[in-house]
Amino acid sequence: MTQLRITGGAIHDPANGIDGDVRDICIDDGRIVASLPGDAPVLRADGMVVMAGGIDMHAHVASASVTLGRRLLPEEHTLDPVRAPALEDGTIPRSGSGGTVPSTFTTGYRYAGLGYTTVFDAAVAPASARQTHAEFDDTPIIDGGFFALLGNDQYLHRQIAANEIRRARDYAAWVLESTGGYAIKIVNPGGIELWKRNVREVKTLDDPVGTSNVTPRRILEVLADASIELGLPHPTHIHCNNLGVAGNSAMTLDTMRALEGRRAHFTHLQFHSYGGERGKSWSSAARQIVEYVNGHPEITGDVGQVMFGDATTLTADGAVEYLLHMSTGKKWINADVELETGCGIVPYSYREKAAISSLQWVIGLELFLLSADPWRMVLSTDHPNGGSFMSYPDLIRLLMDRAYRDEKLKGVNQKMLAGSALADGITREYTLNEIAIITRAGPARQLGLPHKGHLGAGADADITIYSRDADYAKMFSTPRYVLKAGTLVVEEGQLRRAPSGKRIFVQPGYDDALLRDLGKYFEAYSSVQLANYPVTGLRDTPVPTGAG
Amino acid sequence: MSGTARIVENAVCLGCGCACDDITVVVDGGRITEARNACPLGLRWFGDGSLPGAVLGGRTTAIEDVVGEIADALRAARAPLVYLAPDLTSEAQRAAVAIADQLHAFVDGVTSATASAGILAAQRRGRAGATLGEIRNRADVLVFWAVDPVLSYPRFQSRYAPDPAGVHVPNGRADRTVIAVDVGSQRGPDDADVRIQMTAEEESLFVASLRGYLAGRTLGGGPILARVTELASRLTRAKYAVIVTDGESAPQAVELPAMRADSLIALTQSLNAPTRAALCTLRAGGNRNGADTVLTWQTGFPMAVDFSRGAPRYAPEDATLSRLARGAFDAVLLIGATSALPPSVAGALRGIRTIAIGPRASESAVDASIRIDTGVASIHESGMAFRTDDVPLPLRAVLPTPRDTASLLKALGAAIAAKGGAA
Repeated sequence: MTQLRITGGAIHDPANGIDGDVRDICIDDGRIVASLPGDAPVLRADGMVVMAGGIDMHAHVASASVTLGRRLLPEEHTLDPVRAPALEDGTIPRSGSGGTVPSTFTTGYRYAGLGYTTVFDAAVAPASARQTHAEFDDTPIIDGGFFALLGNDQYLHRQIAANEIRRARDYAAWVLESTGGYAIKIVNPGGIELWKRNVREVKTLDDPVGTSNVTPRRILEVLADASIELGLPHPTHIHCNNLGVAGNSAMTLDTMRALEGRRAHFTHLQFHSYGGERGKSWSSAARQIVEYVNGHPEITGDVGQVMFGDATTLTADGAVEYLLHMSTGKKWINADVELETGCGIVPYSYREKAAISSLQWVIGLELFLLSADPWRMVLSTDHPNGGSFMSYPDLIRLLMDRAYRDEKLKGVNQKMLAGSALADGITREYTLNEIAIITRAGPARQLGLPHKGHLGAGADADITIYSRDADYAKMFSTPRYVLKAGTLVVEEGQLRRAPSGKRIFVQPGYDDALLRDLGKYFEAYSSVQLANYPVTGLRDTPVPTGAG
Repeated sequence: MSGTARIVENAVCLGCGCACDDITVVVDGGRITEARNACPLGLRWFGDGSLPGAVLGGRTTAIEDVVGEIADALRAARAPLVYLAPDLTSEAQRAAVAIADQLHAFVDGVTSATASAGILAAQRRGRAGATLGEIRNRADVLVFWAVDPVLSYPRFQSRYAPDPAGVHVPNGRADRTVIAVDVGSQRGPDDADVRIQMTAEEESLFVASLRGYLAGRTLGGGPILARVTELASRLTRAKYAVIVTDGESAPQAVELPAMRADSLIALTQSLNAPTRAALCTLRAGGNRNGADTVLTWQTGFPMAVDFSRGAPRYAPEDATLSRLARGAFDAVLLIGATSALPPSVAGALRGIRTIAIGPRASESAVDASIRIDTGVASIHESGMAFRTDDVPLPLRAVLPTPRDTASLLKALGAAIAAKGGAA
C-alpha cells in the first residue's frame, strides 16, 4: 500500500499546533503528504484519536548488556512465552519470550503493539556496538538508534588530562562514526572508572579521576561542548553521578549548574531527585529539580518513572548495582568493559508496601506533574530499570486521571512521603495533546528528528490510531491501528505486518590526525585491532550533523 | 611467495575463544600459506583453507532443488533438532535459530554438552566479569584456577594477561602476581609466582573456607587453613583480582566438578566487597559464545531451546544429549563444523535422518543423508563472532566459500515458509 488517506480521526499533533481537530492525514510512499487524489484508499478513523508513532528516547533494548540481562532471567522468560504472531506480509513471524527484558523480536512486536515506532537504546559500549546493530536487525518494525558510552573512556580521559580538547572532540566524533551511534552518552561521569579502581563514591564534581585534571565536571563540560561543536542532533545525554542514592539531588543540581547555558539532556531524573542524606534519610527533591529544569530552556529531561511490579535494573553504572545486590541479596552481574565503561544488572521489584519504592513512584509523578514544559520533560521508565515499556499505558493513565492516581496514592507506603508535592495534592491532569508531547513530539524535538513525532507533510508516516476509552490505560495499551512508514502493522488491534525498521545514526566526521595517536593507544592497550573496531556496512542514510 | 600472493591483515582466529584478531594471513594460489601471529592451535585451525564444495545425497546436485528437498524433510519431521556446531558466523547462527523457530524444533549448540555448568551457575547467581582488555590493563593478581592456558588457549597469557603491559600495570608481567591453583592433576601455569595445591576432594571445602574467611568466619583449623589464608590475603590485597577458569569440559574431556563454576562465581562476587575482582571463564573456539548470545537475544535462553509448543521453552536439564539418548528426534539439521562436534553428540546421531550443512560436510564421519559443503567462519565467511568474553569481532573472509552458510540457511528458511512452515 503506497497511498492511504486516514479520515474522521481527531488529530493530536502538537508539533503542528493541532489539538483534536478532525482532519485527513494523507500518506504516500511511507511519508505524510499534504494531499492525495480523491480515489486514494481510505482508512476510516471516525471517533478515534490519531497521533504520530510513539518514540522511546531512553530504553535498554539492544546491546551486549541487555543480552547479559536476558541471559540472567530464564525464570522470567519461562513465565512469559510468546508465540509467533500471524503475519500477512510474508515476513517469517518469530516467537520469543517476554518478561522485563524480552527477546528481540518480541521487543519489536510489543513496542509496535503499543503504537511505538522509534526506540533508542540509551547505553551502548562502543566495543560491542556491532552486537547492537545485529540485535536491532532482529528487532522488527521499530526504527532504532543508540547512544554511545563515553564518560568513562580512558582515551577520552587522557585527552582531557592533557588538555587536548579538540582531540577529545574528534575522538567523540570517531566513536560515533565508528559505532554508528546517534549521540554521546555519559553515565556516572568518572564514577565507573573509579569503581574499577575500587573507589565507590563520587562526592563532588571535582573529585579526581586518576588525576586532578580529570574530574566529573571536566568530563561533562568537554562532552557537552563536543556535542554542540559537532552539531549533533541530540545533545549529550547525561546520567548523573550517584544514581539512586539518598541526597543525590544536590549532585544533580550541581551537574545542571556546571553545564548552565549549554544544551544537555538529563535522563531518568527520578533516580536523581532524592533529598535526605546518604545512609540516613530519604525524601523527595523533585520540586527543586523541576524548578531548575523549568527555568532553563537549554536543558531537557526524561523522567525514568518507577512502576510497581517487576523490573530489571540494568546500567553501565556498575557501582550502584553492587550496592543494590548487597542490599537486596538478589543475583548480580558486573561486567567491566575494556577501558570504556561498565555494566551492572540486578533483578528488582518495586512494591507499594516498600517505603523507598513508593517514594520513587511519587517523585517520578511529581516530575511529570510539576513540569511547566512537557516538551522538555518526557516520558520514560528507563525500561527495564523503572519498569517495562509495557507499563507506559498505565503511566499515561496516572498522568491523565487524577481520581485513579489519588486512589493509587492511598495504597502506597506513606512513610517517606511527608512534604512531597503529590502527597499535598496535585490536581493536574495531562491532556491528550500533552501525552502526545511527552511520548512523541517532545522526544522527536529533543532528539533532533524533524521527520518524526508529528503528522505534518514530510514526516515519516509512523502513525498510531487509538479507540477512545475512559480507561486511558486500556486505550493506550491496544491501539486500533499502527502504521510504520506507511505500512499498516497493526490492524483492528492485531499485529499483521512486521517490516524491518531503519537505523538512526550520525556520521559527524573528524580530523584524521586523530588516528595516528589513537593507533598508538590501541597498539599499547587495546585487545582489539584498530582496524577491527569500526562497524561497517550500515544501511540507511545518516542523520545530518553540523552547526547549520 | 609467488607473485599472486595476497596478504590479509587483522584476520580473526577462531581456534579458541581468545579470538585473536591480529592474524596476518598470506594467501597464495588459493591456499593459506602463512598465518602470522597464530599459535600452534591457530595454525591448525586455519590450515591451508582448502575445502570441498560438494552437494551430496539429494535427488540432484542443484542447490535450489536440494534446499527444497531439505525443507520437505524437515517439515515432515515430527521432532526435528537444529544443532549449531562450531565455526559458524553469528549471521548463520541467527538464520539457523530462525529455522528452528519456524519448524517448532529443538535448537541447541555445543554449549549444553561442554560448558553448561558455568552458564547455569551464572543464571543462578549472576557473575562478576570483565572483558579481556580490562583484564590486560588492570589485573594485578591473576589466579589460574586449575587451568593452564598454554594447552587450550595458547596466546591468552601473551596477549591478554599476565604478559602484556597495561594502563594500570605498565611493567606487564613484573607488575602482576600470578597464582596457580592446582586441583589434583588440573594444574595452573608452570611459571606462576605462587602455587597453591589441593586434591580434587579438597576443592569444595577450600572454596567454602575461602568464602567464609572473606566473610570474617574462620572455619576451624585443619590442614587447608594456611593455604586459604595465603590466597585470601593475596586476593584481598589485589587492586583488581582476576580468577581465570576453564568453562569447557571438552576437548580434553576433563570433568569439571559441578560445584566449581558456582563456587568461583560466588567467590569472585564476594571479593568485590574488599576490592575489585572478576571471573574470566575461558571458552573454546568456533564462535561458541556467539551461539549462546544469538540464542539468548532471539529466544531469551542461551542453549537447549524447545520450540515444540510454538514458543521457546528452556530445557537445560534435558538438552540434546539426553534427548538423543532416548530417541526424541526423528530428523537433525546439523550446521557447522562436524569435526568439532563433541564426540558424545556425534556418536548419538547414528541412525537418525541427518542433514549436514557445514565445512567438509561431504567428508564428515557423521552419518548424514544429505551433505552440503559450506565455509568456515572467518576463513571463508564474513560476518561477526564473539570472543570468550562476549566481545563481538568482525570476520572478513580470506578465501571464497563454496557457498555462504547464512545465505543458504536464509534460502532454506524461505523455502520452509513458502511451503507453509512446520507441517
